Amino acid sequence: MKDQIKLKYLNDHASLMNIECDRDGIIKEMNAYARKIAGDMTGKPFGNIVLDFTNTFNFEEVVKNGEQSRLLNVATQNNTPQTFYFRFFSTEDTIMALGELNHAELSDLETKLVRLNNELNNTSRQLQKTNSELKRLNELKNKFLGIAAHDLRNPIGLVISYADFLLEEAYDKLTDDERLMLERIQSSAEFMINLINDLLDVSRIESGKLELNLQAVDLVDLIKNNVELNQVLAEKKSITISFEHLEKIPPVKVDARKIEQVLNNLISNAVKFSHPGSSVKLDIFRDSKHVNVSVTDYGQGIPKEERPKLFKTFSRTSVQATGGERSTGLGLVIARNIIMGHGGDIWVESEVGKGSTFYFSIPLKK
Amino acid sequence: MIEEKTYRKYLEALIKGDKATCSVIIKEKLDANINIKELYTGLFQRSLYKIGELWESNRISVATEHLATSITESLMHMTYPIIFESEHIGKKAVISCVASEFHQIGGKMVADIFELHGWDGYFIGANTPEYELYRMIHDKKPDVLALSLSLYFNLPKLLHLLEQINEWFPGLDIIVGGQAFRWGGREEVEKYEKVNYLSSLDELEEFIANNTKP
Repeated sequence: MKDQIKLKYLNDHASLMNIECDRDGIIKEMNAYARKIAGDMTGKPFGNIVLDFTNTFNFEEVVKNGEQSRLLNVATQNNTPQTFYFRFFSTEDTIMALGELNHAELSDLETKLVRLNNELNNTSRQLQKTNSELKRLNELKNKFLGIAAHDLRNPIGLVISYADFLLEEAYDKLTDDERLMLERIQSSAEFMINLINDLLDVSRIESGKLELNLQAVDLVDLIKNNVELNQVLAEKKSITISFEHLEKIPPVKVDARKIEQVLNNLISNAVKFSHPGSSVKLDIFRDSKHVNVSVTDYGQGIPKEERPKLFKTFSRTSVQATGGERSTGLGLVIARNIIMGHGGDIWVESEVGKGSTFYFSIPLKK
Repeated sequence: MIEEKTYRKYLEALIKGDKATCSVIIKEKLDANINIKELYTGLFQRSLYKIGELWESNRISVATEHLATSITESLMHMTYPIIFESEHIGKKAVISCVASEFHQIGGKMVADIFELHGWDGYFIGANTPEYELYRMIHDKKPDVLALSLSLYFNLPKLLHLLEQINEWFPGLDIIVGGQAFRWGGREEVEKYEKVNYLSSLDELEEFIANNTKP
């Protein structure tokens, strides 16, 4: 009795197909493992679980010739043929087929697995190597940008100072053409200074040197100041900038100078891309976790496919400034990095022909 | 320096397939700025040699051996931020295993040591067909070719490979090494003029130092 229990336990748990057939090859019983591999085929011919018919497997011959073993491909439930080494045992009215997974096949599988694993490791190594090289090149680029920008700033500052001086001190002695030329020298040099400052910012940010001096700041006051500063620029295009806020906004911990830089960038962009005589609106509102600021213009809008480019270095869209103003293409990249550095987010909603709204959010607690 | 206690703890975890414990040990060592070659020889190489011995003496299964190898390879990735950040000096090495060999850790270690010393180490995976290797040598024009041999019975394949490379790329410096040479073969490979056998990563470092000087 004890032996029978042991045998039953073995039959139920061994990784060995145990299939009992009658002498006509009809399956009478299958153990759990055989059912797991081939499905329940009780009552069907043993030949139905064998895939390789070209191998001329014939159960009757097995019985007749008293064949003892055979490698057979089994049609498994998951449609992946597997090779089993079958041993056949005959009794008076039963043929017992015991099938063991072919070790040669297991070894093949293992070889394939080792090969795949090797490939995965090599690809991962190559990826890490490329990544390190890219990181190194990026650092080199930032270093170069930093040096180039820093060394360019002084001579250009000098050009601006002399142009200012001549325009102020020698104004009466200059012809109209000369004045125009000096004004162009001045505005071009100012553009270059802005570009250099932006490049310095980008290289500082990209090399992880964005330092934030966080203090509790009243964002409403900060926005009011920036609106006033940009009003002069807007008036040249007869654009009005308005700022209305309905909610009481608590002070948030930010770097005031950096957030001013973001505001200045968003407001000046809104003015740049708005039609003369239109308006720019600012708003501030809060949700449970953030203070949000929006800057809306009623200009040309940005095509959907171009929006992902907006926050990328030197990426420009097809949208042109309405007054011929120039742009470095770096302002939004800097704004994004500053906002991300505060743990916030920046995004845009836009409709072509109707205008755009840029939003940024700052966490209430940081 | 790897303390004996740390090595034992690491080996025990490796045999158990406990990757997490192994990772913690490696991370601690990297955080303490361990010399990478010491880490490779004192932990990775030593433990894998031991695992090989245990497998040869039938004390662990081939599955355990493969798992240990696989874990070691993934742990080697933890060193890459250090290895690949070395300043490059413009020297190149192509590293390959002999065709039909799947043991690639030794070759990868060699490639990593080259990288660590500022060389570009182009590692061709295990069991790479010969023509892939020839193509790589042709494309990369390396200063050195390193060939790893793990199984002694593949020595004829290595000799055939050396024959071909000598003919097609005369003058190319070649270094060979690997566990197969425990059973001999050094004399056969060193018959070729430009071939040097290196028995350890220390010898490899010496070779790199001698070949890095302008």
